[in-house]
Amino acid sequence: WPVALTQMGSVLAASSPAPAVNPAGGGAHGAGLGSFPPGFGMPSLSPVSPPSGQAAEDADNPLQNPGTYEECHRKCKEVYPMQMEGVRLVVNKGLSNHFQVNHTVNLSTIAESGYRFGATYVGTKQIGPAESFPVIVGDMDNTGSLNSQIIHQLTSALRTKIAIQTQQQKFVNWQCDLEYRGVDFTSAVTLGNPDILVGSGILVAHYLQSITPALALGGELVYHQRPGEEGAVTSLIGRYTGENYVATLTLGGAGAHATYYHKANEQLQLGVEFEANMKMQETTTSVGYQVDLQKANLLFKGTVDSNWMVGATLEKKLLPLPLTLALGAFLNQRKHKFQCGFSVTIG
Amino acid sequence: MGSVLALSSGAANGTWPFSPDTPPSRWDTHPAHWDRPPRWERRDGRLPNPGSFHSLHRSCKDVFPQQIEGVKMTVNKTLSSFFKASHTFHLSAVSPSYYRFHTEHLQDDQYSKDKDAPALIGEMDSSGSLNAHSLIHLTEGVRARAVFQSQQSQFVTWQFETEYRGSDFTAAVTVANPDVLRESVILVAHFLQSVSSGLVLGGELVYHRGRAEEGGILTLAGQYSRPNWVATLNAGKGGAHASYYHRANKQIQVGVEFEASTRTQETTASFGYRMELPEANMVFRGMVNSRCIIGGVLEKRLTPLPATLIMGAFVNHRGDKLQVGLGVNVG
Repeated sequence: WPVALTQMGSVLAASSPAPAVNPAGGGAHGAGLGSFPPGFGMPSLSPVSPPSGQAAEDADNPLQNPGTYEECHRKCKEVYPMQMEGVRLVVNKGLSNHFQVNHTVNLSTIAESGYRFGATYVGTKQIGPAESFPVIVGDMDNTGSLNSQIIHQLTSALRTKIAIQTQQQKFVNWQCDLEYRGVDFTSAVTLGNPDILVGSGILVAHYLQSITPALALGGELVYHQRPGEEGAVTSLIGRYTGENYVATLTLGGAGAHATYYHKANEQLQLGVEFEANMKMQETTTSVGYQVDLQKANLLFKGTVDSNWMVGATLEKKLLPLPLTLALGAFLNQRKHKFQCGFSVTIG
Repeated sequence: MGSVLALSSGAANGTWPFSPDTPPSRWDTHPAHWDRPPRWERRDGRLPNPGSFHSLHRSCKDVFPQQIEGVKMTVNKTLSSFFKASHTFHLSAVSPSYYRFHTEHLQDDQYSKDKDAPALIGEMDSSGSLNAHSLIHLTEGVRARAVFQSQQSQFVTWQFETEYRGSDFTAAVTVANPDVLRESVILVAHFLQSVSSGLVLGGELVYHRGRAEEGGILTLAGQYSRPNWVATLNAGKGGAHASYYHRANKQIQVGVEFEASTRTQETTASFGYRMELPEANMVFRGMVNSRCIIGGVLEKRLTPLPATLIMGAFVNHRGDKLQVGLGVNVG
């Protein structure tokens, strides 16, 4: 997966694209594995909106840890469907409580077809009911491109992550980050692509503070240096969590990003996103929704975009078999481009 | 569809065996169907009618999957006992998307043995292309058919066919694209005769005439049927087409096809199979080609709903191209 170093998001968020597989599928094996897909998501710890039952416990400690900076927009982004094209077959195999491998064969209409092998190792240091550390995730392509991540919890509040990405034999991304979770704040520092010989690198600092039980404010500072130039971009973020909704706003030198997530009932979730990019001078608004019919083992996601793009994905678990079938189609009316694909996940 | 056009470009057609969109009409169904009494078992001991020339290779062709691409949704509606309409929406990545309206008017004819043989079929595209077939039973043995096809505003096919089915032979004459202004016409004559209980022999003569040239091609055809398999061969100066169809058991049918054309100097061999699982409401068709094309299409009826889901993919390894298609048929 190519790395896009955007000015809006952090390096960390950019290097962890959402995987093509149903996120719930990867967490099925073993109690030791966290609820993250066999791709590259950071394991999410505390939920974004605190459940209402905890109101009594908050008497001594009214403020909770607000989560990480990248997760603020994530709840809304998870509602949107992913673009699918070609045919994909994914086989997940759990070898033990700590080790899981997956094979992916991808036949693509627009890109190169290939085979990918991935392995995930979860260690023995157990922090919570579904999280254990260290977590080592590796992924290799049939062309030799490698993606790997190591996540480890050093102390109860300090977590570190190292991520490396290569495109065949060339290293395109290598970064290290450190995250500290306090009682009511989170701060993180990321060092991306540090190159001593050339004298370039990217430094990202995040800070997120719970002001009230529902409101969290924070900021991000991105500093990049190359031989001959250096620059910094700052952004401010604010997140308000209601009973069944989350509204987040990011404002920075590079533009604005606002998301609104609403959970209507057990089955329907909605997301609205607005993004403005100062560099490219364009704005995009998109609406997405997700219908989850647990009884029919069906998950449907749809989206409409201000770029005249309409898309939908349907995922169904074919139950007696451990098989998940996903169908998806995206249509860009303005450019008259159409893409459809389906995938089968086993295990 | 157009028999003459299929013949003149059939063996050399690069998209074979991907048939055009309209499904084969029921008039040309191969008589040797396993759910009816096999055609060689006639009670009076006489030889059976061999069917029409177009349907000689039909049982083998039905085994192969049809190439699908993009997303297609078809809604079929039966408006009355003799009138059907269907709407098709097709969103495609390689060709323009379209909406197509298709309607069929059946004919309850005392002459026709299959009671719902469509007499009029019309189809119109969102770009204005028209496709029209009409079939008339003149007498018990004589059928006449007219086919008109237009691509937006231009007519590409207009042909008229008359077929006579005797007790053990079939003869047909087709006039295709007669053009008085350009002085061009294509005449096709077919003849099939049941020689014994399993053997059918026949031939086809194609005569085409234009302003500057004229010519004729003769093709001989033979077909041998047994309860479990059918072997057919067409051979002539334009090329050869051989097919073998085998029914292994109730669920698996296999077809092998070989086509050679002298005009394009190409040969193609294909192997296809069809697997039916009626308990799972599923039909799977797969095929492998000598042009390094591998394809498979899965059809599944989603039983409480009156809907069928179709998923298919075709890979051309030589050109490294993949085509994926999804379809839903409602009603």
